[in-house]
Amino acid sequence: MITAGIDVGTQSVKVVLVKDRNVLSRSKAFSGFDPSKSVDEACSEALKLAGLTSAEIDHSTATGSGMKMALSADSTVSMMGAMAKSAVTLFSSARTVIDVGAEEARAVKCDDRGVMLDFVVNERCAAGAGAFIEAMGRALEVKLEEMGPLALQAERASPINASCVIFGESDVVTLIHRQESKPEIARAVFDAMADRVSSMIFRLGLTPDVVLVGGVAKDVGFVASLKRKLGIEILIPDHPEYAGALGAALIAAGRVR
Amino acid sequence: MNEKQDMKNKSEPQRRYVPDMSQREIDELQNLIQLNSRKIIGDYIERMKKTSLNRPAEMSYFDDIADLFGRRQRELQEAKQSGKKIIGYFCAFAPIELILAADAIPVRVNSGWYDAAKIGDRVVPVEVCPMIRSTIGAKMISLSPFLEMSDALISLLTCDGMTKLSEILGDFKPVWTMPLPRIKDSKQSLRFWNDELKATKTNIEKLTGIKIDKKRLRNSIELVQKATKAFRRLQELRKGPPVIMGRDAMLVNQSFMWDEIGRWTEKTEALCDELEKRVEQKAWACPPDTPRVLVTGTPMIWPDNWKLPSLVEEASPQGVLVADELCSSDRILNDPVGVDEWTMDDMFKSISERYLMASTCPCFTSADGNEDRINWLINKIKDANVAGVIYYVVRGCMLYAMEYSRVKKALDKISVPVYYLDTEYTREDVGQMKTRVEAFLEMLAARVDF
Repeated sequence: MITAGIDVGTQSVKVVLVKDRNVLSRSKAFSGFDPSKSVDEACSEALKLAGLTSAEIDHSTATGSGMKMALSADSTVSMMGAMAKSAVTLFSSARTVIDVGAEEARAVKCDDRGVMLDFVVNERCAAGAGAFIEAMGRALEVKLEEMGPLALQAERASPINASCVIFGESDVVTLIHRQESKPEIARAVFDAMADRVSSMIFRLGLTPDVVLVGGVAKDVGFVASLKRKLGIEILIPDHPEYAGALGAALIAAGRVR
Repeated sequence: MNEKQDMKNKSEPQRRYVPDMSQREIDELQNLIQLNSRKIIGDYIERMKKTSLNRPAEMSYFDDIADLFGRRQRELQEAKQSGKKIIGYFCAFAPIELILAADAIPVRVNSGWYDAAKIGDRVVPVEVCPMIRSTIGAKMISLSPFLEMSDALISLLTCDGMTKLSEILGDFKPVWTMPLPRIKDSKQSLRFWNDELKATKTNIEKLTGIKIDKKRLRNSIELVQKATKAFRRLQELRKGPPVIMGRDAMLVNQSFMWDEIGRWTEKTEALCDELEKRVEQKAWACPPDTPRVLVTGTPMIWPDNWKLPSLVEEASPQGVLVADELCSSDRILNDPVGVDEWTMDDMFKSISERYLMASTCPCFTSADGNEDRINWLINKIKDANVAGVIYYVVRGCMLYAMEYSRVKKALDKISVPVYYLDTEYTREDVGQMKTRVEAFLEMLAARVDF
């Protein structure tokens, strides 16, 4: 049985093809102005990589904020439901899943079957999401992928009190004028983000083990800050940005027939 | 016309808060928003018709009365021309029995118009509760027919927003403030509240020129008691399998705020008769296994605030609102005035207790906090077999936002999921809200399966 999971995110579309719980292929495309076109592109690419045709897919399930744009999908599932499923499949001990995407952060509490029990989404505050790192990187003239390694070089923390991207940027400018070093400012950015995300998780209740997914999970700077705030180890899968798509593909397997 | 002119001449130089607007701008904005609002009202009614598998025929009366610029506006105009006084109020604490006893007409005038909030931003900052900003905006452009026709306003000082709103509206109309004690279960609080009611009675008598005597007060109490009976009958019917969609019931509940109360009672009883027949026929409004949702939090004022209830009942998977803990719906008439002896003193005592003691408003606290609200919620959840709770807060609504953690803890204990949903007086966040509401319903549906 072969199933597809399609995660239509705010910044990119991710597709995962799964056969008997094993991943056959992954592909990604920018969501852009026409997400349904991006969905088609990502799907064709995933099929090509797996050497399959669309007729061989038994069921496809879409998830993510733009899931309705995946016109070819057979069904949909919420992002929170998909995350819970994939996290527990990847790490059977997972009970809290944190997803930090480009524009939204979420946390889900789940049981041992990967069924979500409770969830929380950040309240329209970009300071808790990936786009914040990008914007602050611009202020520091540092590339997105360099922000994390830079933050790890910081010798101390310089707290900023970011409540949104715009005010966060003015806080960063204040640090620049105070002639703080770039590593310290980069760390301040991640600390502020981790603050937003962790307070959201504490409201939900922190139940270990904790799994971090979403594109931002690849950022070593953010992961270090979040670990410090939560005070526990965090599990991160190999391809964290595909967790939503993987969950959807696994849920699709339960929906065949 | 004359009133507008009159008001302009009299009050303009004395305005303490509200900036000047040209009559042309007022007219333009009023026309634009009213046009939009009539469209929204029509759309929501159509959507409600579509959602219910078996919509009661008696709902057509409430669909009609839901038009804020239609039949009820005309009726109130006629009543006013015949010399009746109209008294607007903002809160479920306003003692409507006293208004009715003086042959005046009570109408609740909180604004549910999203577009009006932007106009209110000219007076207060965006951090302020949008219901307050919208009510200010509505007044600035004379949008609400009920607010415009009100001869005086009763404002309960429940929260910071309401407190300053009464001052701001004082730029336009006589506003009678009624401060509430923050602790309700003490002797001095009841005495204080009783005195407040008496002061309001005097104000009403002065405005109407009618002395509220024993007979008049008894009649009005009995009128509201009958309405309460019909109201409770409807909520009782919602406890079983879904015989009416939540939005339909909410519209019935809320139209009490502006309808003629005797007629509202008759129509609600007729609706309940019809619903009882449907229970016998097992003709449900939606599949009986639809996840049952309760909403609590900030009041949801018709028409624009139908956003969340519509999302829930039109979602996939679908949910049905079987109860709420809103002062704009299930809480309006939950508790009847219980009178032992029909003396003036006893009637007053009964009225003050009905409003004060029964309320679960988060403006109250005590040594146990606002435990009445927790108990109310838990009882309602059990009675109505609720699967999950949505805790609805508009940004700036501090008291409801702050009580969330306590409600969440209490509901965790009885394993009832609760989701905190915050929003604004805006249509732009419907997509985001939908994602969350659908995830929550998906979770409830999954729990039902196991």
